[in-house]
Amino acid sequence: MQEIKDMVCPFCGCLCDDVTLEIENGEIVATDNCCAIGNAKFLGKNRLKNPIKKVDGKWVDITYDEAIDTAVDILLDADRPLLFGWSGTHGEAQCVGVHMNEILGGVIDSTTSVCHGPSILAIQEVGHPGCTLGQVKNRADLIIYWGCNPIEAHPRHMSRYTTYADGYFLDNAFRNRKVIVVDVRETETSNVADEFIRIKPGGDYAVLSSLRAILRGKGDMIPDSVAGVTKTQLIQVAEMCKTCKFGALFFGVGLTMAKGKYKNVRNAIEFVDDLNRHTKFTLTPMRGHWNVYGANEVMSWMTGYPYAVDFCRGVAFYNPGETTAVDILARKECDACMIVGSDPAAHFPHSCVEQLRDIPMIVIDPFQTMTTTLADLQIPVAVTGIDAEGTAYRMDGVPLKVKKAIDSDYPSDTEILTRIYDIMLEVKGL
Amino acid sequence: MMRVILEVKEQLKPNLPIEAECITPKNFLDPEREFHVWKGNKELDLTDIFHVRKDGNAKSAEQVEITIRGDSSHIKRVGEYMDGGKIIIEHDIGMHCGNFMSGGLIEIRGNADSWLGREMHGGKIICHGNAMDYAGSGYRGEKKGMRGGLIEIMGNAGDFAGETLAGGEIIIHGNAGDMPGVDIKDGRLTIMGDCSRPCGNMAGGECRVFGTAYDMLPTFRNEGPTTIDDVTVTRFSGDYTSRGLGTIYVVNCKYMD
Repeated sequence: MQEIKDMVCPFCGCLCDDVTLEIENGEIVATDNCCAIGNAKFLGKNRLKNPIKKVDGKWVDITYDEAIDTAVDILLDADRPLLFGWSGTHGEAQCVGVHMNEILGGVIDSTTSVCHGPSILAIQEVGHPGCTLGQVKNRADLIIYWGCNPIEAHPRHMSRYTTYADGYFLDNAFRNRKVIVVDVRETETSNVADEFIRIKPGGDYAVLSSLRAILRGKGDMIPDSVAGVTKTQLIQVAEMCKTCKFGALFFGVGLTMAKGKYKNVRNAIEFVDDLNRHTKFTLTPMRGHWNVYGANEVMSWMTGYPYAVDFCRGVAFYNPGETTAVDILARKECDACMIVGSDPAAHFPHSCVEQLRDIPMIVIDPFQTMTTTLADLQIPVAVTGIDAEGTAYRMDGVPLKVKKAIDSDYPSDTEILTRIYDIMLEVKGL
Repeated sequence: MMRVILEVKEQLKPNLPIEAECITPKNFLDPEREFHVWKGNKELDLTDIFHVRKDGNAKSAEQVEITIRGDSSHIKRVGEYMDGGKIIIEHDIGMHCGNFMSGGLIEIRGNADSWLGREMHGGKIICHGNAMDYAGSGYRGEKKGMRGGLIEIMGNAGDFAGETLAGGEIIIHGNAGDMPGVDIKDGRLTIMGDCSRPCGNMAGGECRVFGTAYDMLPTFRNEGPTTIDDVTVTRFSGDYTSRGLGTIYVVNCKYMD
């Protein structure tokens, strides 16, 4: 049995880089330091063995060469192809995807548009007062979790960076670091909070506005209760935030996807901005997929826009609400689709899934998913972090090299996409 | 006077969006001009999408009247950068109709899709049906939306109507959705029906709600009753998340407490 240390976990945006894997006969048999979700991914079974294609409603096994030719044909025939997913693969593959989208004249979008897309829209309006997770771990004496439940969704976030982590500049970090949780219901995370603010659904904007008004000395005008939160608690929380030495606000989809969406996040950023007149305060989105931040980085540096980039006219156009995958699918505006490392059939609204069913769809994914059932072609690939390697970005924007643990015969996402791209260049005479 | 009639042909893939920013009165003044539109990733001639009929002559954009007939609900960017003349749309129109418009008139007899009159500077848009989200708003990340002109919507408007409004006037005769006039800086937004959470983060300008404003934000100060055209309204100043230089008049309001 072989033991490999300091592996990076390819599950959530925490990208824990202290995982130990035990390998036996070329297979991962156990993990250490990993959370339950990461463990399940490392030990995942039921990989698709070879490419499959739907012929007359039945799945047929095909070779990689055939699969690549079919994929090229489907994408080149389309007038408005949609290339979606990308958060479950490494940066190098994302680069090829953007190049491919440019010569196809398609729309490329990542899962950002259904999670923290609104955060980015807000950041484009008022900026991002952010910092690395290392800063939070070593300095922050006040943590706010707003609309997120890290104990269940980012299980090691609190032990690595906040509540349960030691801080270099903090004495007795566990006792002296205060945690405020804001949510619409009690959660595992709210149970360990020093202060729990329970908001009525859709009330985030009003509560943030009230906190901002209190910070500006306008507390007198705030009514006794705002969206289920008492004025006394609002004043107390504003005071906690103002008097801390270093505060860090983390927020999740509970804020970005609640009524008001990006304007909620904008209000949160401006709240943090106001707090910086009194103390040091930062804000970090709790990114979900392990490399969703990477997808934003890659698209930004290659096209100028972080997601939902429409290349139909040969130049990049960006307008979430118009060029985002859900909107394009719901309006039935695309006529072919390629999904890379994502499972939209499990997560998208019904009308979008219907459109995925009705158009030719290619899936590039190691596993069988809900999306497989609607696909016309699936190409299995290696899993980054297990039998493929590449670059990923942590939720705070720090790039990490995700190493591979074992060798396999599966090609990586980069290899498959590059082969598809090369044939496209040849067909187009470029 | 020049009359241009554009009748939408039956489309093979009817849901694919068509971008036709070339449809402005000024462009039809030049008889030699080629008109290109985009359908997905294919560049087509205007005649691939429309039956085009042109009668009469014109010396300036003001003398040109364009009529769009048939199903134009997927045609985007009609009247973008329009500076004079008239466009009549007999049915529904796609997104971004009248973007950056500075003069002239667009009359939509059906419904308008999102971003109607985005970043408009002048001129007038009348929509007889409903308008979707972001009527008279700004672009992503932009500080200022509509700066001048008038948008009149006879039906309802979607969410974020008049977002970052910085001048001009928007009148919505029906209801507006969530957050009309959010981040408004200047200009006037009138809603004859109901809406929710008007004018969050208001930095200036004026909003009038003649129905009920639901989930009214607590950071606006009640300044007492007044009247507008014999209607009793309550005046609010705000938003006190910033300096509170804006004004909202509402007939009824409800808080989320």
